[in-house]
Order: sequence, then structure tokens, then C-alpha cells
Amino acid sequence: MAEGTTISQLGDARTGKLADNLTGFGRTLRRAGVPVDAARMALAQQAVMLVGVGREDFGAALESVLISREQDRQVFRELFDAYFKNPGIAQKLLAQMLPSAESRAEPAKRRPRVSEALAPVRAARDAPAPREDDKIDLDAAMTASDLQRLRHADFNQLSASEYRLVERLAREIPLPLPRYAARRTRPGTRGGRPHWPGAMQQAARTGGEVLRVPLLQRRRQPLPLCVLVDVSGSMERYARLLLAFLHAATAPRHAGAGLRRDVFAFGTGLTDLTPAFRLADTDAMLEAASQAIPDFAGGTRLGDSLARLRVQHARRLVGRRTLVLLVSDGLDTGAPEVLEGELGWLRRHCGRLLWLNPLLRFEGYAPTARGAAVLHRQAHGMVAVHNLSRLQDLAGSLAEVLRQ
Amino acid sequence: MNVSPAAPVTAPALSSIDALVLALQGVGYFADRRLATAVFLALQLQRPLLLEGEPGVGKTALAQALAKVLSRSLIRLQCYDGLEQREALYEWNYAAQLLHMRAAEGQGSADMAQVEREVYQDRYLIRRPLLQALQAPAPGAVLLIDEVDRADEPFEAFLLEYLGEYQVSIPEIGTVRATATPVTILTSNRTRDLHDAVKRRCLYHWLDYPERERELAIVRAQVPDASAALATQVADFVGRLRSQPFANAFQRAPGIAESVEWAKALVALDTIVVDPEVVSDTAGILFKQREDVAALTRDMAAQLLQPAETDA
Repeated sequence: MAEGTTISQLGDARTGKLADNLTGFGRTLRRAGVPVDAARMALAQQAVMLVGVGREDFGAALESVLISREQDRQVFRELFDAYFKNPGIAQKLLAQMLPSAESRAEPAKRRPRVSEALAPVRAARDAPAPREDDKIDLDAAMTASDLQRLRHADFNQLSASEYRLVERLAREIPLPLPRYAARRTRPGTRGGRPHWPGAMQQAARTGGEVLRVPLLQRRRQPLPLCVLVDVSGSMERYARLLLAFLHAATAPRHAGAGLRRDVFAFGTGLTDLTPAFRLADTDAMLEAASQAIPDFAGGTRLGDSLARLRVQHARRLVGRRTLVLLVSDGLDTGAPEVLEGELGWLRRHCGRLLWLNPLLRFEGYAPTARGAAVLHRQAHGMVAVHNLSRLQDLAGSLAEVLRQ
Repeated sequence: MNVSPAAPVTAPALSSIDALVLALQGVGYFADRRLATAVFLALQLQRPLLLEGEPGVGKTALAQALAKVLSRSLIRLQCYDGLEQREALYEWNYAAQLLHMRAAEGQGSADMAQVEREVYQDRYLIRRPLLQALQAPAPGAVLLIDEVDRADEPFEAFLLEYLGEYQVSIPEIGTVRATATPVTILTSNRTRDLHDAVKRRCLYHWLDYPERERELAIVRAQVPDASAALATQVADFVGRLRSQPFANAFQRAPGIAESVEWAKALVALDTIVVDPEVVSDTAGILFKQREDVAALTRDMAAQLLQPAETDA
């Protein structure tokens, strides 16, 4: 128990003061975004009883019980110092950490597509275009939202017409990701290893006679996907719809539950959009993405962004199988040597690196810009993504590039 | 039978955090106080301890040291992609079972239900690490579930029952409970985030690179042949290599394991003083990536060595 207990205001467990303090601290942690449940709080009480409250161990004990992620450690330590030295500071600290806490009372903003849905019906010219779909340019689709885009040149949300377009894209243009034989197995009819439990069950029915040996076959799993989307000014009009398309086309309901997808946006910096992509709704994803991206419609420094990807995230996402989709027009303002080095690294560390280039829409396009030339040299393949028929080719191109 | 929480681990080394620090030091593991607190709590509260941190900071070594301190056997489950229940928990000896069935049939035993019961006996059970840990005789085992982030999510789900209750369910036999609660250490290099359900059942500790004194102590303990001056130079050099602003130049900073290896190599090369030339000759021991080896230029090595020399 507590040796030389000096912090008297904490009280001890018998007076209930300690319990109150701990519960208060737990609540503070929770408000700061650290997931702390009741079971953890109970465990914290036990832990404190074991190590005592008078020494630095108190903090270490609480930390090992209440924290389960590395990124929460700093928050914990700051809050701990503040809370157990001066609860008043904790409040201020919280207020700083949660600048949006007050704004929560505002009524939720309506999504444009909800507003549009509620608005009176307009003339039929807004109806979806007749079925010459293969010729529709994404550009044409974007004109419906030109006005809105001018008002806030931002990701934000899809208008109703865009939403319809994306929905249709995802439905009509399947993006079947290539699959590989995973290490996990399941009982099947073909495969290399016998499925002994199944054989035993059969044998039990036939008096120990094994008539047919069931086999274990390897499960098929979609290749892990890593999407890097350029959100610089020149890419603005494509980035949003492509993000929406990729989000819808690789959703678990289309691609199966086992798909791993990591998504990053890069402009002048790098933003991890993977959490946003976990949201099921495409609008919610775009909204989260637009909030997360600090440098939307700015310049492009692809090399620096890739360097950050390598240093901070590489171990988590690149692997020999990963399929990297790099969506960019290659108009890079960074140093080409840096880009060359980083792309080379990425190419060596992934399964296939595919460059989705919207500029291929121009007849006679040649990758002559410095960045584009590097991309062209390093990528395993280049695909156009500016209209529907090209998007339809995407799946085929993926398969083709993987065969190379 | 489960050991009740009222009767936690009672090795003399574990009466207090200080005793634990000393006991670990006795077997060559230098834990800082925060880590010792986490271990102490894991033992007292009988919870699994999840250790995360960069490769080579001593996560696995902690489990090995604990096994020595507690005089328990160490059972290790190395996780990998596609690890399945039969490799982690148990498997039946199917060949022997089939033989048994045939023998029973040969003797004219007609009662198939009886034969089936006989076939799923203990002696046909092949125990894998998790089951071994549960059935280890008192005082129990130390179970190391190494690099749990390498296994896939279905495997994590399968671990939940073990981590929460120290028991596993085997359909043919029933539930197997721990005879003596195993001390369970999970390690993760954070190649992916673990599921919350796993984390909720564990205490957590992030293992950082050690501070200078601790690293020096480790190097001196692991490489007794190294002179005090050499060990100091190694600890200083590696410590500075990991610190800003140098860390950004490299893809992966060397861990404790690398410093120890390096010190051993320097001793083997009869090095008395580390100079830039020695550093660039032996950079392959500190770094395991070609780019990093190339990034450690002589100029940089000289720069890194300088303050250590002025200190000395």
C-alpha cells in the first residue's frame, strides 16, 4: 500500500475521495477523446490500491491501465499533470483541446442532396442524361455543381446529381480488385492439404473408413489497396469525384469485407484519409475528408508527400502485394530528384504502382512536365480516368498491369 | 481451477515495484520504473500485458526475463499472417484417431457413439502453445504471444476468450480453464492497429527507446568484454542517432538489440575508440536497410561522435 502518502487531498479509498477523483479523471480523459470504459475505471481503482498514491508510480499505474494506444499517451500525461496538480487547469486544457466543443449545439447542417431532395421539383432538365452514358465526361457532370464549387472551392458534399452519378458509376462500373490466395484456409474440394477434422467426422459415420478426404483450400482475398490522391488546385475537379467513386466501388458491399484500403491525399502535405474512408456514407466520407485536408486546392509537392508517407506510414501499408493507385496529373512543384527517389522506393516496395492520369483526355498528351516524366518512368502503368468508358477500363487495366 | 484474484503471484521478487526492478536487473533486464509498474500491476491484477514499441526495444526480452525471475517456463507463440487456431491452441492426432477407430471396428465394437467418445480422449490431443500455457502445472507458465499484429483479425477474435478468462473452449472436450494463471505478455510492432476488444483485456505499455543510462547499463551487462569507454561511446552514439534532428535522415533507427550487436562487433574488431571510419565500416550492423547505411555518411558520423568525445 501507499508508502509515505504525501498527497493528502486525494484521500484514500475508504473515504471515497480517491474514487471520486479517479472517476472525475476518467471522465476528463473520455472528454479528451481517450476511450475509457467503466471496467477500466474499476481496474484503475485496484491498480491504485496496489501501488499507492504517493509516488510517480501512481501515474505510471494509471497509464498502463487506462491507455491502450500510443497516440493517447501525451494527452494522458498532460491531463494527469494538470488534473492531479490543479483541477482548474484541466478544464482550461480541455477547452483548448476541444475548440469545437461549444459549437456542437448548432443544428446539424443539411447535406446538399438532402436539401435538394426537399426542394420543390424543378423542370425535367435536371433529370439524368439519356443513356449515351459512355460519352459523358466527368466535366459535364460537374457543371451542375459549378455554382456551388465557385462558392466554396472545397470538397464538401456531392450535389444530388453528382451523387446519382457516383452511385451509378459504382454500380455500373465494377472495380473487381484482383485476388490472391491468402494463407488462411477453409474446407473445400480443391487444395493441397487434407481437412482432417472433416475426414474424422465422415469416418465416424462409416466405422472408421475414410471414403473421401476433404481438402483445405486457401481463401481468396482482394489485394490490399493504397490510394494516393492529388488534391492540388489543378486536380480539384477530378479528385473529389474520383475519391467518391473509389469509396463507393471499394465499399465492403462491393469488394467484400476483407479488403484493406489505405487512402492518402497529398497537396503540399500529406493527409491520412483512411479513417474518413471507413465511414459507410460517401457524403460523410467527403465531408470528413474535406475537414481533414488542410491544403485543398493548393500546390503539389509529391516528392515530399511521398517521403512523409515512407517515414510515417510505410511499415503499416506497403507490402509486396499492395496495389498502389496514384491519382495525379503530374504537375509537381517539388524537386524532381526527390520525387524520383521516393517513387523508386515506392515502386520497389509495393506490388504494382498504377498512375491514374486525368490529363490523358487530351489527344496527343505526352508526359513532358518534369513530374509527369518521372511518374511515367516509375509507374508500372498509366490509365486515363476522365470519363466513364475510361473508368470502365480501369478494372481491366488493373488486371493487365498485375499480369506484367 | 482458476486461481482466485485474492491469491496473486507471490514470488519474493514481486513484493514491490522496487523488488521487481532489482529482480529483473538480476537477470540482465534493465527496466525503467514505469515499465516495472506496468509489469507489477499485470502480475498483481492477473491481466495480460500488451507491449508496443519499435523493433528492438526489448519487448520479447522482457518476457524471457520475467520467466527467469519467476522461475516459470516460457511458452512462446510466434504470430504470423494466416496463423490458425490449430497452430495456436490444439489439434487432434487424426492418424492415431483413425487407427483407434479401425481397431475398435476390428474388435467388433458396434457402439459407434462409444468409439467416438474414446477417440476424443486427452491422449489424442496435440497441445499447442495456448493450451500448454493453460495446462502448465503450478506456478504456471509465462506465455509470450509475440508480434500479435502480424496475425490477422480472425485470430485476434479467437484470442479474446483466452485473454479475458484464461480459458478456451474445445468443442469435443469442453472448456479448459487455467490450472494456474499464466503470465501473459503480448507484443506488437504496430504494423496495424489491434482491435479494441483485445486492448480492453490487456494492460498497456509503450516501450520507448531507453534513456542513455539504461542503454549504457544494458550494453555493459550484455557485452562485458567492452571497455567502459567503448560502451559509453556506443550508448552515446546510438542515442544521438535516434534523437532529433538525425532521426529524420533514417528510415528506421537502431534498437537496443542493434546497439548490443554493434558493441559486440566493435569488441570483436578490437576497437578501442570509435571513429568515423569504424562507424562507416560497421554501419550494416546498426542499420538493416541499404538506404540507411548509405545515409550515414562519414561527415554525419563525425558530427555524431563529436559531443561524446568532448564529454569524455
